[in-house]
Amino acid sequence: MSAAAADLEARLRGILRERYHHLHPFNQRLHGGRCSREEVRRWVKNRYYYQTRIPIKDGLILTKAEDREFRRGWIRRIRDHDGDDAEGARAGGLELWLQLAEACGLERGDVESLRGVLPGVRRACDAYVHFVAEHDLLESVAASLTELSAGPFLAERAAAFRKHYGWIAEDGLAYFLSRTEQAPRDAGEGLAFVLARAQSPADADRCAAALLRKCEILWQLLDGVEWGGRRPRLARAARLREDTAAGGMLAVLPERAVQIGGSGPDVLRACDGQHSAGQIARSLREKHGGAQIEAEVYDFIERMEAQGVLEMQP
Amino acid sequence: MTAAPRPLNLIAELTYRCPLRCPYCSNPLQLRDFPDALSAEDWGRVFGEAAALGIVHVGLTGGEPSARRDLPEIVRRAEAAGLYTHLVTAGMPLSADGLAELQRAGLCSVQVSLQDSRPAESDAIAGAESFARKLAIARAARRLGLPLTLNFVLHRHNLARVEEIIALARRENADRLELANAQYQGWALANRAALLPSRAQIEAAAQAAARARRESPRPEILFVLPDYFRGRPKPCMGGWARTHIVVTPDGRALPCHGAAALPGLEFWNVRERPLADCWRRAPGMNAFRGEDWMRDPCRSCPERSRDFGGCRCQSAALLGDPAATDPACSLSPHHSAIQSALSDPAPTTPAWRYRTPTGPPAPPAAHTMRRVL
Repeated sequence: MSAAAADLEARLRGILRERYHHLHPFNQRLHGGRCSREEVRRWVKNRYYYQTRIPIKDGLILTKAEDREFRRGWIRRIRDHDGDDAEGARAGGLELWLQLAEACGLERGDVESLRGVLPGVRRACDAYVHFVAEHDLLESVAASLTELSAGPFLAERAAAFRKHYGWIAEDGLAYFLSRTEQAPRDAGEGLAFVLARAQSPADADRCAAALLRKCEILWQLLDGVEWGGRRPRLARAARLREDTAAGGMLAVLPERAVQIGGSGPDVLRACDGQHSAGQIARSLREKHGGAQIEAEVYDFIERMEAQGVLEMQP
Repeated sequence: MTAAPRPLNLIAELTYRCPLRCPYCSNPLQLRDFPDALSAEDWGRVFGEAAALGIVHVGLTGGEPSARRDLPEIVRRAEAAGLYTHLVTAGMPLSADGLAELQRAGLCSVQVSLQDSRPAESDAIAGAESFARKLAIARAARRLGLPLTLNFVLHRHNLARVEEIIALARRENADRLELANAQYQGWALANRAALLPSRAQIEAAAQAAARARRESPRPEILFVLPDYFRGRPKPCMGGWARTHIVVTPDGRALPCHGAAALPGLEFWNVRERPLADCWRRAPGMNAFRGEDWMRDPCRSCPERSRDFGGCRCQSAALLGDPAATDPACSLSPHHSAIQSALSDPAPTTPAWRYRTPTGPPAPPAAHTMRRVL
């Protein structure tokens, strides 16, 4: 290996050491056994959205490759994820994740519907697909190199689940175990490609930036998961007033007022600082029904937080 | 005529008295024309009428509202009318005990103005020893649990310290930080040559504000690129007589702080007529309401629903015609009135003239106006 390639590999591994999501507070809690059942379920349900984006992302990468050998190798990743119907027996990553969801007590159909995906999680996952759509093959493959850390990390995860979350049946851990084997192989191929193709210092910089961006995306995904567990309440500076002139309600703040229409007042009343955003969304779904209501409640709470009407209980 | 929309905010200028003498004050130049003529009871009636019009928020401002001894009574009456009461204060002569009394009377939030991040510089431009007292009031607000906004008017002499100002706002745990670029009207126009910053200063400050927003959601930072540097007018007051009513210390109901100085416009007084009439029917209120008054380039401009044609007072002050397109807009045929002020800074910075009750000694910026036109 050339000196430049060795430097680049060291640089990429350094980024992972410092920025991979193994350091995220949520993952530290998850692996330390400090997550409640509700938190584990929220993570499983939301992380499924990430799983659904992976084959799409890999499809985009295929469209960038001129080299037959590269495509032959890379297409295996889509099979790994989607499963291989022709052989019947081999369940893909998506199926294994749904089995994990069921083992956690979630309903398969509910998870598959993607209805309750938290907005921050959706944004982070979509950002990964957009990144790959907008960058070249080298950067796209470099972004996938978080898998260099995924192998050992997932082995640790399977052990942590066995130790701390015995309520999840062993069958449910098949995803982690299968990725423990696949990820190092995928990462090795990806790394070899990146080291061979990054020819100039500018290429190396682009690869490092792509991997850093991917680390940010995984980090933001977990921020989005944690957001769903936070407990919104009316902001200290906000007062609710019946809007006598136009009907509905107004949230009044220093030098601004926000009109709250539709079922907004119902949601605001539920934001008592005691219940999490996830609990509020679920209870409103049970009360009112409707397929989209969870997503709507999340979007509303997020908007109200951005406008200063709601704040999160510390 | 455009029908009067539902207003949301009452800006109650309780008095133009103020212990400070800031040279960019937004009050009129001839302060003596505006005696404190409304009693607490009068204000109470205005608050009730405002609430009936649909107003939900009152900014208690001035001058310095705490210069009025009956401020607690005024706050109580605003609270009784159901309004959100927001106090805009220089932090003196208000005391911490006085602020606690206002909170008991129903005060919802407070904005304290500071003039600079550094005491000596802040006191110098305020024209009064004041920094320490202001900081004490800001801290009292935090102790009382009152939502706190810190306000800094920005100009040539403090723009370099925007990062220090942000650090101060974080240290004091403010909820909001208003980085308010001086608007060159009233006293600020009279002192424009002494205060107007360079484009480089504005851009550096904008970047500092953007960086701070990325670093932390607190405090909420308000920084708007000023009209002089944008090539587009500011959406002044969110549109003329559209969402805000200003009531001056003598009871005039206006669409903005400066409208009383516009020649030929008739505004009505809340001592003589109901607020609803002053809002809906006063000829001055209707003079620039909606879009009918606009000429080209405004009347066919797709941006007119966003900037509402800019600032009438600026057109009047710089062009002598309140119906002209705001010269801050690069589409205005008179945009050079703004550009020349920027490209032609005074070779040495002149000293500013402090606000006085009788107006600046010379006619405000008259020679400057002639030169730029």
